[in-house]
Amino acid sequence: MVTWEQFIYFAISSVLLWAVGAWAAWKNRPAMAYTTTVLGLLVFFAFIVSMWISLERPPLRTMGETRLWYSFFLPLAGIIVYSRWKYKWILSFSTVLALVFICVNLLKPEIHDKTLMPALQSPWFAPHVIVYMFAYAVLGAATVMAAYLLFFKAAGNRSEEYEITDNLVYVGLAFMTFGMLFGALWAKEAWGHYWSWDPKETWAAITWFAYLIYIHYRRLPKHNPHLALWILVISFVLLQMCWWGINYLPSSQGASVHVYSN
Amino acid sequence: MKEGFLIGGGLIIAGLALELGVGPVVWEAFAWPVNGIVLAGFLAIITVMFLLRKKVYAFRFIGTYEAAIPAMVYAVVLTIIMGLIRQEVDGTWLNNMLTFWPFVLIYVYIAVILGQIILRRIVNCQFSFFNLKRNIPFMLNHLGLFLAMTTATLGNADMQRVKMITTVGEPEWRAIEPGGLIKEMPLTIELKKFIMETYDDGSPKRFASEIQIQTKSGKNIETIVDVNKPCEVDGWKIYQYGYDTQMGAQSQISILELVSDPWLPFVYSGIYMMLAGAVCMFVFGGRRGDNK
Repeated sequence: MVTWEQFIYFAISSVLLWAVGAWAAWKNRPAMAYTTTVLGLLVFFAFIVSMWISLERPPLRTMGETRLWYSFFLPLAGIIVYSRWKYKWILSFSTVLALVFICVNLLKPEIHDKTLMPALQSPWFAPHVIVYMFAYAVLGAATVMAAYLLFFKAAGNRSEEYEITDNLVYVGLAFMTFGMLFGALWAKEAWGHYWSWDPKETWAAITWFAYLIYIHYRRLPKHNPHLALWILVISFVLLQMCWWGINYLPSSQGASVHVYSN
Repeated sequence: MKEGFLIGGGLIIAGLALELGVGPVVWEAFAWPVNGIVLAGFLAIITVMFLLRKKVYAFRFIGTYEAAIPAMVYAVVLTIIMGLIRQEVDGTWLNNMLTFWPFVLIYVYIAVILGQIILRRIVNCQFSFFNLKRNIPFMLNHLGLFLAMTTATLGNADMQRVKMITTVGEPEWRAIEPGGLIKEMPLTIELKKFIMETYDDGSPKRFASEIQIQTKSGKNIETIVDVNKPCEVDGWKIYQYGYDTQMGAQSQISILELVSDPWLPFVYSGIYMMLAGAVCMFVFGGRRGDNK
């Protein structure tokens, strides 16, 4: 039976494979980059599936468990971006970010017991959270692009980078819309109403509108691309509030049905 | 863009004046048929604004990005305030954003903008039939949001949510409204058996009610209502809500919630359109050769 104690072995193997993939991408060896990154993803996914089996429920309840999915989706989003646009550095970034989340999980493991309260026992549970985690990973990649353009990239032709950033936001927003509306359909089945302005829902609406502002602003013929990138950075900060920030927000203490960790 | 921010600012000031003058928005006043009339009036106003767009500059302006972006910025800022300040049912001003005029007016303004751009696209569609790949996703996203937003908001007053405390072996037809009033239901529910399963640590794994429902329309249904698995009879959805937590598995009562929401099909059509729109967004992404 795979337990949380074995996570470190799976994590080290995955990170090593991803690191080799990132190195191979720098060295223009795409075949090797694909193989090792995918192998790393398979090893990591094997752990997620084993946890799913040993917990007898989807590992999606605690913040630690959602971080597990996030660490998985970052290299996945990285390899998809790499396959489409051949960015040498994207795999290094996704590996480092995945490593950060893995370290958080190793240093602050949260209790992973079998209990799953009846409200979470629904066919909507897995798609709702997984789709959101994928959206967060893709929007994280878009934020990395924005930071790269804002702070690192020397002046010059940037149209390709902007196109990638836009594409990442479109994909991320599409998945965020799925996550939000799956949540609404689930809420109707579980709590009798599809939208109750629960703090998590309020922040989900904020985040959703923030990315809509980016998309519409980018379509404005006379826009300032620099400001557009800042909108992306701010949107990602708002997303953090929605994801975990509200757990620490005085205004949502005891007011949210979305706090399940304890 | 400056004009857009000015309009939004004007709406906020108008909202503050209304809040001071007439008090918070009383959503209960929108119960049928008021909400139907308001919706018809709203659609008529949107259409008139659209028809007069060539004569009146402001109506033309409302259908542009320069109007939409500031409106969304105001919505985000007000919603952030809502997210930072504790919301209370009996609260006023910032403690109850849903009844706070500036918040409501900004969202109404967004609905007006959505209405304008939808009508504009429909009319333009006649001249660009072949551009379906862009027009269909546009319609799904914008019309879907318009439909979901307006019908959810206006339909809210018609939603009924009541609690029914059922006891084993006793048919119950009375339910408790949110305000504490007793409501006689068009159906009776008899609790046959309360089902409870727990984990090793005693936390609930499953609680459900085996019930028999008899309706005034003559239906006689035996079913089990689980958390996450409501059942539906004559427009009422019946949910497992609670039980006697002191008694736990021995509970002889089960609290059910009964919800009726006649506007749900409209809201759901909006939600399904937005889901289909999100599929398009994923497939077609930001590819847009037209305005680069």
